[in-house]
Amino acid sequence: MYHSKSTKYKALLFIAPFLACFLIFWLAPVLYGIWISLNDYKLSMGNLGFVGLENYKTIFDTGSVYHTQFMNALKNTFVFMAISVPPLVLISLGLALLIDNLPSKLKVFFRTIFFLSYAISVTAVSAIFLWLFNANGGFVNNLLMTMNITNSPVNWLTEQPYAWFVVLISTVWWTIGFNMLLFVNALDEVDGALYEAADLDGANSFKKFLYVTLPEIRNVAFFVIITTVIASFNLYGQTMLITNGGPARSTTSLIMNINHTVFSGNQLGIGSAMAIVMGVIMTVVTGLQYWANLKINSDGPKRKRKGRSKKSEDPALVNAPLPYQVDGKETMKK
Amino acid sequence: MYKKKWGLVLATSVLAFSMAACGDDESEESTGSNGTTQIKFINGFTGGDGSYMTKIVDDFNESQDEFEVVQSQEPDHYTKFKSSQYDLVIMHESNLETYIQDQMIQPVSSFLEGAGLSEDEFHPAGLAASTVNDELYGFPLDIHPLTMFFNEEVVSEAPATYEDLVTLNNEAQSSDPNLYALGIPGSGLVEFYINMIAAQNDIDLEQDGYLNFAQEDFADALMIFHDMVFEDEISPAQLGLDGEFQTFMKNPEGGGKQAAIALTGPWYFQAAKEQYGDNLGIGSIPQIGDGTATAGNAHILAVPSNVQDGAVKEGVEAFLGFLYEPENLVNWAESGQTPTHLATLDLVSEDPETYELAAQNLEQLDDYVSMPHVYNYGEQMRYMNEIVFSKLVSEAGLTKEALMTELEMATEEARQFSGQ
Repeated sequence: MYHSKSTKYKALLFIAPFLACFLIFWLAPVLYGIWISLNDYKLSMGNLGFVGLENYKTIFDTGSVYHTQFMNALKNTFVFMAISVPPLVLISLGLALLIDNLPSKLKVFFRTIFFLSYAISVTAVSAIFLWLFNANGGFVNNLLMTMNITNSPVNWLTEQPYAWFVVLISTVWWTIGFNMLLFVNALDEVDGALYEAADLDGANSFKKFLYVTLPEIRNVAFFVIITTVIASFNLYGQTMLITNGGPARSTTSLIMNINHTVFSGNQLGIGSAMAIVMGVIMTVVTGLQYWANLKINSDGPKRKRKGRSKKSEDPALVNAPLPYQVDGKETMKK
Repeated sequence: MYKKKWGLVLATSVLAFSMAACGDDESEESTGSNGTTQIKFINGFTGGDGSYMTKIVDDFNESQDEFEVVQSQEPDHYTKFKSSQYDLVIMHESNLETYIQDQMIQPVSSFLEGAGLSEDEFHPAGLAASTVNDELYGFPLDIHPLTMFFNEEVVSEAPATYEDLVTLNNEAQSSDPNLYALGIPGSGLVEFYINMIAAQNDIDLEQDGYLNFAQEDFADALMIFHDMVFEDEISPAQLGLDGEFQTFMKNPEGGGKQAAIALTGPWYFQAAKEQYGDNLGIGSIPQIGDGTATAGNAHILAVPSNVQDGAVKEGVEAFLGFLYEPENLVNWAESGQTPTHLATLDLVSEDPETYELAAQNLEQLDDYVSMPHVYNYGEQMRYMNEIVFSKLVSEAGLTKEALMTELEMATEEARQFSGQ
């Protein structure tokens, strides 16, 4: 009955919209991108013929200018990923924890405040940070010099590591609200009974965070890390508008480089090959994260069991007074 | 069986996309709702000058009922032009060779004749900007050279030489240590500076189709910018993107360093006028190198290769004939651009108050040196723009030897981008 033809057709009808969207908006562009990367494709002149892997060879040919620019952009993107993912995850988690401990009325208020920056366009964010960090009479330099912290202006946008610093804090300020919101929702989902149990076991705040909160929000944290890494790979607007890829191309990201190769350099074929290589690198990085998460998940329960049994076997811990107990008697927590 | 079906679906999708990417190379006549032949005109005039070009287009459309110019003003008009069909396009001199080699534009001598114009109606600088291999590839519209704006409260007379700049700087510094003669940018308009100093020292950067920066004379010439910042200190260091204009516009009360002069693009005229009002002076580029010369870029009206239809050609000619009537093109001078059409320049000269900037810049036309016409000019210049010039004005200890090493790298990049 379930395998009748009409049932199959009905099922096909239901999944048809998804399939159509998948084919049109994902699979076909990806395949078309791969096809372009195998051709000598110029934006102005169109397809000048199939060249096989020639565009990929150009990217990996150490004597080629495209290689130099691609590797430089790749290195810059990894630098940004390394410096941006930890604060974007940890600060957003910290903010979420702070908000989670606020009274519910204030919780909504601050959640909105912190999320608000995420709604601002990158152009406006860049304009704000350009004004703040302009070396010549910018707000931050004026402040530092007025307070006698520095005698001469800091070249925030034209010297490293300051340029990365500006890109980093503009990114954190701009996007922190999104990750924070995911963490706030995840914290809302944590069963209060677990905290009560931990209280009874005498766990302090740090231990409650480590043994209750973190395992409970682990999947969301994993999602946040993956999406933050992917977003870091897609760095474009901030470096384009704040540092213009400088100083000396040190903040030129992969997307900026691809954009330049295609639209200024007219090399759609080579640009597409760069995009495909970038996609492969992102897939590998995401795959590694996924594998690491699976590994942690599979190891997790064992560690948990080990910890619990250890604690129960340790008489010192079993008999130790809870932090808010006086002389072994429980008192009201202030 | 199922595999086959899915294979078929995939193949069809890919084929559909491939077909969508292919198109007819020849533009066909488009007819407007009232039976007029439409001329699709694309340009990148999205700033203040856009409305002046729109006025010319509107006036043309109202003047007759045979043709209709449909104008698109796009910030990324080159990308749009590459991927769609147009009948007339505004092109920069810097891109001319690239679009000729990519076979996207055609010679315009026959169009010039059809529009009732001749080459001797244009200033030689405009013709040089529009000519490649002795063939005219566009109608010279304007030249926008590096322009000097100055604050008349500080500068009594526009400096004409490097020595004048040093003297001005000494005076400015003695009155206010945060006031400099000018600001040298780290990036942005620096290719105008690079071409200007090459032109003033009579250095030809073009060699076999690419830009050869690795020349001893050129390194010496470039070091003047380093000296302006670190030796004579007539400019603050590390000004970054568009630093020449930002420093000129800096309000001294807001802190930071200010410049009395800006060597910048004429498109900043309106903003500078708003800030300085009647105290805004306009001058020619001073002699910083061995001789007098200025550089910049030019707007050219080019006809795409796909324009083959007789009616469309007639429409293009009719519009260009109308545009080059001095009373129409003078609108373009009002926007601040300097037309290279001689009869229009006469009108500008007669009324320097109305056409303040154009009237001043037309004096620079005789000194204008065309930029090198090479394939992928922008990409060939990129290393100079992004790395070399920035080092010149930010590294106090930069030596000529270190500069030469950078120039060799810039040349190698240029050579590869030229396709040689």
